[in-house]
Amino acid sequence: MDLRSLIAPRLVAHAHCDIPCGIYDPTAAKVAADTVAKMVEKITGSTGGDEASRNTFIRSVAVKEEHAQICKKELLILWTDYFKPEHLEKYPKLHDTFWKAAKLCSKNKQSVDAKAAADLQAAVKEIADIFWATKK
Amino acid sequence: MRPATLLFRVAVAGRSMEPTLEDGDWLLVRKLRRPPRPGEVVVTSDPREPARLLVKRVRAVAGDRVTVQGDHADPAESTDSRQFGPIPGAAIVGRPLLRYAPLHRFGLVR
Repeated sequence: MDLRSLIAPRLVAHAHCDIPCGIYDPTAAKVAADTVAKMVEKITGSTGGDEASRNTFIRSVAVKEEHAQICKKELLILWTDYFKPEHLEKYPKLHDTFWKAAKLCSKNKQSVDAKAAADLQAAVKEIADIFWATKK
Repeated sequence: MRPATLLFRVAVAGRSMEPTLEDGDWLLVRKLRRPPRPGEVVVTSDPREPARLLVKRVRAVAGDRVTVQGDHADPAESTDSRQFGPIPGAAIVGRPLLRYAPLHRFGLVR
């Protein structure tokens, strides 16, 4: 038996709220950002004026809007609930990174811009990298 | 839940006691045989589910009624006497003395 399992408590004392807490994951923001990029691609490549094409076009715009909002929401949860002052000490650019990423979510709503979509993906990746580094 | 020994260890699960205790802290707990005092951190059994242990801070003691609360600044982060009301003194199991892991947070629990 190793030392760790020898000294590990066998009881758990809960310091919870009843709402499950402490479960944070940047994956949801990443999926949303990837979806935004995919929709920008679809919108840009969209041709044809028939009903089916127009329907697809409008749906792509709607999905882009929706997922840019989901991305912003997921980022704000990480920013305000997960990250703590000690993380900020270690990653002084944290606030700036989140602020810019949230603004990129808005920019992706306002425009159809492959660069903005790629920038958002990069910003989310940067945040995810910091997140996973704090979990080590 | 009544540990058999005078001293026992618990692992903290959850964030309601931040910044005093963090999720994953390992604590050495001493059984409490006297009435709790306001301001102390205590391990109690959950009044809603006695087999489950909670760790909270005593806010007030009125006779046998003990009000416990999480340290977290945001009340939404803690389920405590604000939801389930005061608990009976007998529900209190012990008092954490020492955080022994993680090592960089080693120290007395206050």
